[in-house]
Amino acid sequence: MRTHKEVVIPHSVLMSVQSPGRYVGGEVNRIIKENIVKALEDTGFTSAVRIAFCFPDVYEIGMSNLAMQILYKVFNEPEWCSCERSFSPWPDMDKAMRDNNIPLYTLETKSPLNEFDVVCFSIGYEMAYTNVLQMLDLGGIPLRAAERSDDDPVIVCGGPVAYNIEPMADFFDAVFMGEGEEVDLELAYEIKKYKENNKKDRQALLRRLAQIPGVYVPALYKDEYDENGRFLSLKPIEEGIPEVITKRIITDLDNVPYPTEPVVPNMTTVHNRAYIELFRGCIRGCRFCQAGYIYRPVREKSAQVLCDNGIAIEKSTGYDELGMLSLSTSDYTGLAELTDGLLNAYEGHHTSLSLPSLRIDNFAMELMKKISSTRKSGITFAPEAGTQRLRDVINKGITEEDILKSIRLVFEGGWSTIKLYFMLGLPTETMDDVKGIADLAIKIEDLYYEIAREKDIKVRRPEITISTSLFIPKPFTAFQWEAQDSIESLGEKQRYLKSLIQKHRSINYNWHGFETSVWEAVLARADRRLAPVILEGYKKGCIFDAWDDMFKYETWLQELDACGLTVDQFIGAIDVDAPLAWDHINIGVTRKFLALERKRAYEEKVTPNCREKCAGCGAACFKTGVCYE
Amino acid sequence: MSKKKQYDERVLAMTRQQHLTHYVLRTRFRRYGAVSYIGHLDLMNLFGRTVRKTGLPILYSQGFNPRPEMVFALPLGVGINSEGDYVDISMSVKVEPEEFIEKMTPLLPDGLEIVSVVYKDEPKNSLMSVVTHAEYALEAPGITDCIKKIMTMDVIEVEKKAKGKIVTNDIRPQILKFIEEQSTADRACLMVMAGSSSNLRPESILQACVRYAGLEQVHADNAGVTRLCLYGGEYPNTKLIEDFV
Ligand code: SF4
Repeated sequence: MRTHKEVVIPHSVLMSVQSPGRYVGGEVNRIIKENIVKALEDTGFTSAVRIAFCFPDVYEIGMSNLAMQILYKVFNEPEWCSCERSFSPWPDMDKAMRDNNIPLYTLETKSPLNEFDVVCFSIGYEMAYTNVLQMLDLGGIPLRAAERSDDDPVIVCGGPVAYNIEPMADFFDAVFMGEGEEVDLELAYEIKKYKENNKKDRQALLRRLAQIPGVYVPALYKDEYDENGRFLSLKPIEEGIPEVITKRIITDLDNVPYPTEPVVPNMTTVHNRAYIELFRGCIRGCRFCQAGYIYRPVREKSAQVLCDNGIAIEKSTGYDELGMLSLSTSDYTGLAELTDGLLNAYEGHHTSLSLPSLRIDNFAMELMKKISSTRKSGITFAPEAGTQRLRDVINKGITEEDILKSIRLVFEGGWSTIKLYFMLGLPTETMDDVKGIADLAIKIEDLYYEIAREKDIKVRRPEITISTSLFIPKPFTAFQWEAQDSIESLGEKQRYLKSLIQKHRSINYNWHGFETSVWEAVLARADRRLAPVILEGYKKGCIFDAWDDMFKYETWLQELDACGLTVDQFIGAIDVDAPLAWDHINIGVTRKFLALERKRAYEEKVTPNCREKCAGCGAACFKTGVCYE
Repeated sequence: MSKKKQYDERVLAMTRQQHLTHYVLRTRFRRYGAVSYIGHLDLMNLFGRTVRKTGLPILYSQGFNPRPEMVFALPLGVGINSEGDYVDISMSVKVEPEEFIEKMTPLLPDGLEIVSVVYKDEPKNSLMSVVTHAEYALEAPGITDCIKKIMTMDVIEVEKKAKGKIVTNDIRPQILKFIEEQSTADRACLMVMAGSSSNLRPESILQACVRYAGLEQVHADNAGVTRLCLYGGEYPNTKLIEDFV
């Protein structure tokens, strides 16, 4: 039987932690369904489905997450369903809660997590896994799915990591594949029927959930390995359970609910702006990019709907900045219409637009002059690789000429701060490619002075920042079979790059630690054998692994070793024909296509983007979007 | 033409002319509950967003990053409730206080309420410089006895962190009056110095009660603090903030 008991957080606890505003709720536009809680208090029963939506990172980051805002709206739409939010407590609050026996609760009605029917995690990155365990633990819920009883909530998750959730398979009862707007409610409805039936049988419920298209129930599958510890297969344990789970996507984005009245945090968050979502997917197909494959095919929202969204959301939030979300803003076909419409509607409001990942051309330059927000941060470019050869390998469809032409426009437009993003450790990379990064940056530096001379403008020193991240072979990419570069080799490359730009005072170099990337690669490609490692790591105090200063690489290596596993097992090269731990998931893009893309990468051949020429990736099976334009 | 449209047109005309007359709404507000746990900057942004939502002709600051022109009387610390804080909100044309209250009230989150608004035509002094005193209510078991006890002392030394160093301060001169008629055994009301020239933080009073009057640390940690009202002028002839021009 479920009850409701409000968690009380003493003033002294809130006053003892950083940013207590994270833990109190009370925001504008939040939704509280008091009748449901009241029914529970009065009668000890409600057939309404209560969902705790959990984001395994701090409040400020979670509240800037669009998926959370979308699903919060979706779940709260039917009157038989209510959705409340919860976030990872920062270590200071984590400790205070344990010391004072305060269970993790939702912000809306301060209900402990174990009071809910469903606890739903939205996971954006693998490094958040230990925070999932932290939240379950603090919420009074058994960590392993196998240990949960009929009275425990059903623990589900979704997000990009779901496509290879195997390392976390032990902890989730069900996993959503793909976009959640429809499938989430189907699951909630199944739970509603289950509650109304009032016959407690968790096993039967899980089997029913497994019948919903796009829902994966890990406990109904069994994994196998060969004598060398290589992954062999993952198969249903019984008849009637689907062998392959196909992701769900939304066919018509214009007609899916969009949170134009999002919850607005009272405290200032990372981005502090409202968002509209231009389209899903990406036409480009960079071969290392998981997002580029898993969200296929590209589906756009119409400029008219987006403009209406933008107007409504400014009114309901009061934000003075509107962000446009998509994987590459410039590929949105209605961009001119949309920005004109919004700038018109916002006239005199001092509301600015932020357009990330905008490809710089004449149109973009004009746009940037009209909107104020880009000035603050400088202009960003992501060539990803330093030479044309390597850019062809990764299918980054831009040339050096394109880049320099764009940067010329930027300098001529009066900007002098440029950020360049590259990746180190890409397949086939040589020292020449590393040198290419420095060469490009130096060319950009020269270009600045050249333009300054030409235009006779006052010469400032340009600020050119090179950032390198490390290549991580992710499932469902053309490079899913590749090895990750070794720490030694990466170190050498970094030192070399640093030495090349040392004398150039206007060029700065930022890099990312190797160890977090290695661990991320392990989490991304591992199979079910990793679950006990994650559990032990959590018990040894690993949480907030995504935060560099909290990441404990040594602990992870020890735990891996204790389970008889090695890093190389998961980050080494995989045979192209070998079974993969995520073969039971179908994202539309076929394995055959990814293998072909890999071959073309080694041949240094570029594949045209979806709008130039369909490459036949397989995503046309969803019968929508760019494939049918 | 709709009223909103009329406003919009006037605002546009004004901004185009760079006309910067401040038509100020001196707003008294109270704060309690969840929203008390945010910082001063958060509260400023929250008011900024809410004022924007009203659609009223707000005056924006000049420069790269225009924001609604607002001046708060005195920052309100994290975890402190208030019954009488003030913010001056500038409009670019005259707006009636009634209309402002009517528009703002439904848009504020629970725990933020507008108590009253007076219209000020171009105030001469910044709201911040007006504040000299504040009344606080401190709630903890036996707090009134503690306050009475420390007020008999000639010197009350408390420690404060300033620029990373711990400095000792005598706060006795900053405590002006114990307000008997509003206090009970577990709720002490007092008037202290506040504002830019001399400001006593309620945490310091609680610290003194722990140090010199035997208040238990847990009770100090759990003490409820409410700022009751702000005043300007010289003690004992202090005046309400509304009365200043
Ligand atoms: S099927 Fe063709 S058009 Fe559709 S996503 Fe794949 S490559 Fe692009």
